[in-house]
Amino acid sequence: MPIKWILHWQPNPGTTVNSQILSEVSQCAESINGVKEGRWKTTLSFYKSMVREQGIGNDFPRDFVGISLAEQPGKYFLVIRGQRIVVEAESSIQMIMEKLQSYKTRVALNFEGNQYQLGDFQLRVGKVVPMHSETLRGIVMEMEYVPISSWEKSHQIMGEFFDLWKEALLKRSLPGHFVHIEPNFAEYGLPDQYGMQHTAIQYANITAQIVATSHAVQAPRN
Amino acid sequence: MECVVQGIIETKHVEALEILLQGLCGVHRESLRVHELCLKSVPNLGLVSSEVRLLCDLEQPEPTWTVRHIGGAMRGAGAEQISVLVRTMAESKVSKNALRLFYALGYKLDHELLRVGFSFLFQRGAQITVTVSSVNKMLKLHATDEAVPVTPGIQLVEVTSPASSENYNEVVAAVSSFCEYLAPLLHLSKPGVSTGVVPTAAAAAASLMSDGGGTAL
Repeated sequence: MPIKWILHWQPNPGTTVNSQILSEVSQCAESINGVKEGRWKTTLSFYKSMVREQGIGNDFPRDFVGISLAEQPGKYFLVIRGQRIVVEAESSIQMIMEKLQSYKTRVALNFEGNQYQLGDFQLRVGKVVPMHSETLRGIVMEMEYVPISSWEKSHQIMGEFFDLWKEALLKRSLPGHFVHIEPNFAEYGLPDQYGMQHTAIQYANITAQIVATSHAVQAPRN
Repeated sequence: MECVVQGIIETKHVEALEILLQGLCGVHRESLRVHELCLKSVPNLGLVSSEVRLLCDLEQPEPTWTVRHIGGAMRGAGAEQISVLVRTMAESKVSKNALRLFYALGYKLDHELLRVGFSFLFQRGAQITVTVSSVNKMLKLHATDEAVPVTPGIQLVEVTSPASSENYNEVVAAVSSFCEYLAPLLHLSKPGVSTGVVPTAAAAAASLMSDGGGTAL
């Protein structure tokens, strides 16, 4: 499948994300001749261990997430970042997790927005909001290059496109910028050929960043 | 949900059972070689202890993995009266590193088995799967090549059919009536209710072997 970079919005120190930034970013995608092509959505759920007694040997993973991608509704991805594990499953795995009663979903985040086509590139710009809420927690962007599926080989063209995008966005003087964190897919045992598990890892990574950023902003208030 | 019954048969009669199943189902058998890992939650994990099975299908050119959860059996007077067990069951195909994931989540290997045999999958009032397999244990961890039978000379027969809360009555009826055809060779009952081998098995097997399963029992 085509390779994609998934990037998140890093607000400048002292600022937070807001819907005005999201709308400017969307306009920017259109201003560089992006053709709006419909909506896209990803959902990420945080799993929390359920324990019988608190405090006794509870070293169960705290970074266990489940991800569903709109492009593959029958699939579900489980990721434990700290241990570099990604598992691809069918969506029925959610029912199994529920029946086991060992982990429960704590919070779920929706990543959703519009999709734009620019030649061989697909851009998806969207908001990050908790499920059943409209509180903006972050801004996310998927940058997909259709002709190539090798992570390594696509690096240069993706980098160049990202530079162009940053340049276009710079004109709008927004209080922050998009960040691309390059995961080490080999640590997860994944090949260079891009697949949906790569996407799941990127979502798990940017979510960790978004959560860390929002904690950092909130910390001085506490 | 699924409906399930189990029984045992002596290995020497398995060939006759295969002929009978072939005649009844009208489909070809599929070979079965499944490595089954039963995992249990560590003591403090979960509000109740839990169990999950990882099945690795070794018959495929590239082994495929499935997670299976078997839930509680249906209870109540109605459930007691029927001869088929109705229980919740959920399955999901997974990528090959699922075992690592469950270890990381706090599950430990309780035991592992290797099932070797064959299965028939067909439609007869419901979608029915019959598996006939010898159950083997591993002497060394994951050493499927060195597995030895748990009960030499005896094979396990399992008849299962997917069901839902709406249609399980019909599925139970379909499974029960199918079991009657196998009765001369083996008796099928709810899992855990052992009924042993049937006395008519040798005669029924001899008859099947002599006429190739063409005669109705």
